[in-house]
Amino acid sequence: MKASQIVEVVLFASDAPLKAEEIARADESLDEDRVQEAIEDLRTLYDDSERAFQIVELGEGYQLLTRPEFAPYLERFDTVPRPPRLSGPALETLAIIAYRQPIGRIEIEYIRGVQAAGVIRTLQDRDLVEVVARAEGLGRPLLYGTTRRFLEHFGFASLDDLPRPEDLPILLRDRAPLEELAESEEPEEEPEF
Amino acid sequence: MNLVPRHGPIPKGDFLIVELDPFQGPLDLLLHLIRQQDIDVFDIPISTITDQFLAAVQEIGVEELDSAGEFLEMAATLIRIKAQMLLPRPGDDGEEDPRAELVRRLLEYEQIREITTRLSRSEAERARRFGKGHVEPRPQRYVEDTPLETTWEEVMEAAMHVELPHPLTRALRITTGLVAMEEKIQLIMGRLKDVARVEFKDLVAPWKEKMHGVMTLLAGLELSRQRAVTLRQSRLFSELWILRGDPQGWTGALADAENQETEPEEEV
Repeated sequence: MKASQIVEVVLFASDAPLKAEEIARADESLDEDRVQEAIEDLRTLYDDSERAFQIVELGEGYQLLTRPEFAPYLERFDTVPRPPRLSGPALETLAIIAYRQPIGRIEIEYIRGVQAAGVIRTLQDRDLVEVVARAEGLGRPLLYGTTRRFLEHFGFASLDDLPRPEDLPILLRDRAPLEELAESEEPEEEPEF
Repeated sequence: MNLVPRHGPIPKGDFLIVELDPFQGPLDLLLHLIRQQDIDVFDIPISTITDQFLAAVQEIGVEELDSAGEFLEMAATLIRIKAQMLLPRPGDDGEEDPRAELVRRLLEYEQIREITTRLSRSEAERARRFGKGHVEPRPQRYVEDTPLETTWEEVMEAAMHVELPHPLTRALRITTGLVAMEEKIQLIMGRLKDVARVEFKDLVAPWKEKMHGVMTLLAGLELSRQRAVTLRQSRLFSELWILRGDPQGWTGALADAENQETEPEEEV
């Protein structure tokens, strides 16, 4: 068996992105580098033979996905599962968590100006965010961060794929994070509790 | 289950939290007022904006706003800033403009809104690629998240139309005759003379009254106890079959059925 064939069957059989190291587990002859090479070979092969699917890098791994231009054909079938789109508040909350993680509920609510508990729980249920830590402060509030599933949902390979703040049209360039602001306002006060 | 609306800049999705508000929150409304009038965020005419904000909240109607408290809180903040602006401020002692924190919040919120739009675009783009039969995990529904789509008027209306069971109809439903189990035993055995098995449903089909069903079931249980028949059901709530009980008529399958202890979930 050729390495590219082994990588191909593993990708074909998977319904979620797989990391190169995960694919390499399929055979002793494989390691991460060989998997990467095989993926490049397969990509060339698919492009040359005009396959309707591609190997896409997302969610910290690789997955066989159809090319977007073929979506209209698949959308005619009710049986083709479509991931439910997120609501405005859910996207907004997710944006805050993605950029400011790890972040607590109170801070999210301060940024949004509205309550967020329900939205956060829904995002947790959909495995888009998770509790990543607890803050040191009073009551040790839960801190949230995004999951691999989040990257998958938006087609990002990693958090680096998120739109960069400096690329955004609106910007407060020297905006300090909230906690730093609080510190700079009362520099001599030491939180004792 | 695809309720994604095809219109509007922000897809509301088929999601659990439904915000009925025209604005997603007080910051959204404030930002809308500022951007609509091309106001310089760094020099907000706080008095004008406060009045406009309060007017807008009043116009929309507090009861329309899902999160009225948050809008009122913002109104209070605006009024506080307005008051602070009126107080004479000593010159260059490094004290912050009372509006500074609000400006920070607004800009941050606007940035988040921009990111949200971009995320939404990425999401739409990603949705155009399909994996191999990949099914998204279904969201777990919480009872309290289910949006109330009815108004109190509708609830009242519905309540007024509820028909109470008429006492007379109830009186008329007194059973006219008793159904004897003996009768049902004969029915079952008679039916099983011709066929090896009979469906419970068919036995009770000719009668409407529940009592016939109850007595047929009791008859079946009694016969089963006497080992004259075997009752079988492949799983919970599926059809109930009554099988002829004598082992000669049933070879392998019956031996299996008789071995009641080994397949407890299939026994009635």
